[in-house]
Amino acid sequence: MTHITPWRRLTGHRWIARPEFGPFVLLVVELVVFWSINHDFLSPGNISNTLAFTVELGLIAVGMTLLMTSGEFDLSVGSVFGFSPVLMWTLMNSGATSLEVAFVVCLVVAALIGLINGWFVTKLKIPSFLVTLGMLLVVRGTALFITDGFPQRTWSAGGHWLAKILVGDIYIGDFRVYASLLWFAGVVLVLGYVLTQTKIGNWIQAAGGNPSAARARGVNVDRTKIALFMLSAMLAAFAGVISSIRTSAANPNSGTGYELEVIAMVVIGGTALSGGRGTIVGTVLGIFILRVMRNGIVLIGVPGLAYNIFIGAIILGMMALHSWLERRHQAGT
Amino acid sequence: MGELIRMSHISKSYGRVQALDDVSLTVNESEIVGLLGDNGAGKSTLIKVLSGAVPLTSGDIFIRGTKVTLRGTTDAISQGIETIYQDSALVTQLSIARNLFLGREPLTGSKLFNRMDRAKMDAVARDLLKRVGITKNIPPGTPIGSLSGGERQAVAIARAMYFDSDLIILDEPTNNLGVAETQGVLRFVRGARDSGHSCIFIAHNIHHVFQVVDRIVVMRRGKVVADDIDPRTSTIEQVERVITGMDEMH
Ligand SMILES: Nc1ncnc2c1ncn2[C@@H]1O[C@H](COP(=O)(O)OP(=O)(O)OP(=O)(O)O)[C@@H](O)[C@H]1O
Ligand SMILES: [Mg+2]
Repeated sequence: MTHITPWRRLTGHRWIARPEFGPFVLLVVELVVFWSINHDFLSPGNISNTLAFTVELGLIAVGMTLLMTSGEFDLSVGSVFGFSPVLMWTLMNSGATSLEVAFVVCLVVAALIGLINGWFVTKLKIPSFLVTLGMLLVVRGTALFITDGFPQRTWSAGGHWLAKILVGDIYIGDFRVYASLLWFAGVVLVLGYVLTQTKIGNWIQAAGGNPSAARARGVNVDRTKIALFMLSAMLAAFAGVISSIRTSAANPNSGTGYELEVIAMVVIGGTALSGGRGTIVGTVLGIFILRVMRNGIVLIGVPGLAYNIFIGAIILGMMALHSWLERRHQAGT
Repeated sequence: MGELIRMSHISKSYGRVQALDDVSLTVNESEIVGLLGDNGAGKSTLIKVLSGAVPLTSGDIFIRGTKVTLRGTTDAISQGIETIYQDSALVTQLSIARNLFLGREPLTGSKLFNRMDRAKMDAVARDLLKRVGITKNIPPGTPIGSLSGGERQAVAIARAMYFDSDLIILDEPTNNLGVAETQGVLRFVRGARDSGHSCIFIAHNIHHVFQVVDRIVVMRRGKVVADDIDPRTSTIEQVERVITGMDEMH
């Protein structure tokens, strides 16, 4: 065992063995390839557009990262993303409440949805796949029912202070970003800190890695998971509201299919679907990998319909890489 | 040597299976008790009762003379009874340091924005691994998943020692371990005893038990059939006969 090949020495490096390394390389490769084919790819206008949409999925993805680290996942996020702004604008347009109150109400309702998800999963011991699939249908169905399937009016939000805080324009020179980018950055920093530096983070990882061992040490696994289901739903609602203000539309169908795209982002970044291991940095990379791919292939002239082929290939490739790293790691010292 | 734990007239049935039938067992301070018995004798059930993992049907448990009720494993741990099953007590994805302090993370920073004191966790982990007798230099950030079976036992034992468990229960800790690793675990157990902890040590390999314990208790079909065998004055063959019921010995 004293003979170490150069390859082994290279792959044995801490930073290469990190789960974030593969996604990082992939993102750089994407950026270089798209830019070399079409220089517009890195134009301020294109970057700004990509970022706007990216942070909305990204908010859901960072919440999902913690939830998946704890060993669960949430298929209802896409429908909560669609339902929450519908609820908010319906309340607002009916004249029943102000926008502020409607906003708070929709976050509280999202928290309740998460609470129900978490309660079914932890207390009734039903797999999160089934619970959140059921919730997906209930929530989406409710959104369609209260709107008769029609989008809600939202234009009255234009100059409202809440709209400005959430998605107002921010100019850095000529470069325009939405305020939602700052919200996303804030959420990433806070949740990244929580996961890696705090005892809650330790509990989240332990709950996903070995729940009975965690329980034996006095960790409240159920409460940890329920809190994460609530966080996940609230972030999805928050993202949905941001999206509806940005696009001036609250469509009961929006967010359809987001759950799978978000889960893909999270696992590409190196978080384990089976729980116990999660990385916010990896998820941020995963978010950008998929968004850049979607934007880039259209820009270089590949038909957008081919998008899923690339996404599927990326998922498979990254899973192979992560499992290889995992096995190397487990193989020992 | 004072009395640490006394289990008195413990019975436990699973439906119609009488797993424990009026079992009494005492463990003294700084004593390693070897618990022997054939498959199904009731050893695991007895220590599960003691570690709060299963409720007893009847009987009492006393810790230093005070009667206790153990409603769950957390209860037992807070009463100073720590059980170490192979693997299951640790989270393989987490590092050694994070496992050591799981559920009892030391904090630093302000009350509102506190974080784990990782410097302290690492320092304690390093020190404990040395104390428990791991000579190889293993960084405290190493995930449990990349440790060997014996090293994992060592981490679990180190944790029990650090949090001052009075009684460390090891159910077949040497299963699936090689010669060197087994010797390592036996050394950890002795180390724990020498620093004032008591142990209950269950193993099928009588040689291992003989090497480390102060007293041997034998169970057969849910009953304790011998509770004061001295490994220094008895032979392995004699104990084997007690286990299989071909001979009674007192
Ligand atoms: N959960 C359970 N439900 C029903 N019966 C059980 C259960 N656990 C144990 N038993 C029964 O109780 C008896 C004692 O089992 P126990 O696991 O305590 O034996 P053991 O001495 O640890 O054996 P081994 O050396 O094989 O581990 C056995 O007859 C077993 O079948
Ligand atoms: Mg057993």
